[in-house]
Amino acid sequence: MSDEKDILKKINNFAFNSRKNILEMALAAGASSSHFGGALSIVEIVSTLFSTQIRFNKDSPNSDDRNRFILSKGHACLAYYAALCEVGFIDKEELKTFEKNDSNLLGHPVLNKSIGIDFSTGSLGMGLSIGIGIAIANKKKNRNSNIYVVMGDGECNEGSVWEAAMAAPNFSLNNLYAIIDNNNFQQTGSNKEIMNSESLKEKWSSFGWETSEIDGHNVKDLFNYFENGKNINKPKALIAKTIKGKGFTFSENNNNWHHSVLTKSLYEQALSEIIIK
Amino acid sequence: MDINERNIKVWSAIGPRATLGMAVLDLAKEMENLMVLTCDVSTSAGLDRFRKTYPEKYVDLGIAEQNLIGVAAGLASENYNVITTTFAPFQTMRCCEQIKVNLGYMRQKVCMVGIASGLVLGNLGYTHCCIEDVGVLRSIPGLTIVSPADSLETIKAINAAIKLNSPSYIRLTGGSNNPIVYNQDYDFEIGKSILLKEGKDITIFCTGASVYQSLEAAKTLEQNNISCRVINMHTIKPIDKEAIDKATETKLIVSVEEHNVIGGLGSAISEYKSTISKAPKQLFIGINDFYSKGGNYKFLQNKHGLSSEKIVVEVLNNYKKL
Amino acid sequence: MSNLEKYKNTFIKSLDIKESDFKESIQYNDVPEWDSIGHMTLISALEESFDISFETDDIVDFSSFKKGKELLEKYKVNF
Repeated sequence: MSDEKDILKKINNFAFNSRKNILEMALAAGASSSHFGGALSIVEIVSTLFSTQIRFNKDSPNSDDRNRFILSKGHACLAYYAALCEVGFIDKEELKTFEKNDSNLLGHPVLNKSIGIDFSTGSLGMGLSIGIGIAIANKKKNRNSNIYVVMGDGECNEGSVWEAAMAAPNFSLNNLYAIIDNNNFQQTGSNKEIMNSESLKEKWSSFGWETSEIDGHNVKDLFNYFENGKNINKPKALIAKTIKGKGFTFSENNNNWHHSVLTKSLYEQALSEIIIK
Repeated sequence: MDINERNIKVWSAIGPRATLGMAVLDLAKEMENLMVLTCDVSTSAGLDRFRKTYPEKYVDLGIAEQNLIGVAAGLASENYNVITTTFAPFQTMRCCEQIKVNLGYMRQKVCMVGIASGLVLGNLGYTHCCIEDVGVLRSIPGLTIVSPADSLETIKAINAAIKLNSPSYIRLTGGSNNPIVYNQDYDFEIGKSILLKEGKDITIFCTGASVYQSLEAAKTLEQNNISCRVINMHTIKPIDKEAIDKATETKLIVSVEEHNVIGGLGSAISEYKSTISKAPKQLFIGINDFYSKGGNYKFLQNKHGLSSEKIVVEVLNNYKKL
Repeated sequence: MSNLEKYKNTFIKSLDIKESDFKESIQYNDVPEWDSIGHMTLISALEESFDISFETDDIVDFSSFKKGKELLEKYKVNF
């Protein structure tokens, strides 16, 4: 279907540009290093959301019917800032100020409506609760909009995540998505090594969420997932199977890239590896 | 709400928690976008009537305080006027980091009410007492902290805090048959302490349930020829610096609080007072940094030197040594 | 006004119920207004009307209009 082809092309372009911008920011961070791996694993998810679901751009930043995005795994902000750049909130020059003194773009997002950031995240386990508050508000105001909360699998160690997970179905929040970036790693090792979070699908499902599991880098599957979600009457959990560091040979599934320095030579190598699908 | 002698007596009889319930019931009439959030404490916070009258304005998050604050922040970000409430230790410490991030850092406008703070639930043990809340929350920038002296002041504090443009914490101390400090209407403003009694020898800064005890103590101290100034410091943050400036003309400053002497009202006063040259000595009356065995409210007030009789003894001892 | 009328009027006014909702068989929790908060309001109003001060046990035992009459007689209010 040509419509679908166009949409997928749009998402892939978004992802391509995002990876380029992530490289710019990681390079700019220099010796401070950056949370490279965990940002790359969510690029397709964020690209799909921002190009097809979240009606949010510089021209209509506060429209009541805009879908909301909460990056609960705030350390993956490189992907978030890249997306905000693509939709016009942050310009390319500002991306280079990443983690510099007095910058708007710190290593975790800081609330700043002028550049499209609604919440300060980074302390794991808090975003889903905020999402619930907004979802309840939307219901009360009869708004037809959704809230997309992107979380980490390591983040699911936090008890506060499960408080929120228990609450959402109790309030029939069918306008709320919890998207878990299941890249199987957390800060100092794999989930299996640190705190085994296997059976995420069963866990979320048993808490009352409509739970699905898909390839978090397949933009067609992601797009169809979000399009089909409209008819489901429960809060939705998506266990997105992803690869930490996705996009570059040196970083894929290499947990050293949880937080590391991108040297000039690696930057050059990475640039040569980006492909448009 | 009609502030008259009869109602003041009723609010005193029912205590600060049930008075909270009456206050929000009244607020709901004029505030379309009021939302009250709790953690399975509707009946403990006098909210049963509110829950039944305004179900659309009431959300119970179950026993999940971290979620409570996040949800409150989400609602506040959508321009709802949000009040959260549960028992003080859980309201302030179980979700302390959520308070820091959502209310302090993001400045989401939420008014938190900690019920049964201090020693009133002493017979349940110190898991249900709270002698740390002010100390813990004072170090979060941007959070106003108010500790009302009696049931009428509880109503005034809630009404004032919900109208602020910033987040706040209201600490409710005392129980049913809550002693009356104010038996008629008066002006209340967050940040402005209230001079309850003038005096020139010592200044007693008190807050919450300690205000009544301090006033009673002052009567006895007067009979001992000590002229006491008694000031209700209902707002602990931001502290009324002007009142402290004025107090330096007296010979001794006394702080009285149903809280650890570390971190609460006394500490807030001394932080400022220590910047003033030649300021008088300060006597800290409060809980001396330990968890005692439990007991009923009166027993514990007495044990920790917070009854009027014990305040008198402590002040006399210290005044003699000046 | 007789003590009985005074008693009945205080009930109706302090609980803020309609005269049509009142009957002498009324008990605690029969109407939503007579909940724990309504109860304290009622007690306070009766104390004022009859110039008495209830003991705690009597406040707890005061479970109905009829029971209240018995309790008030303890405080020398005759019906």
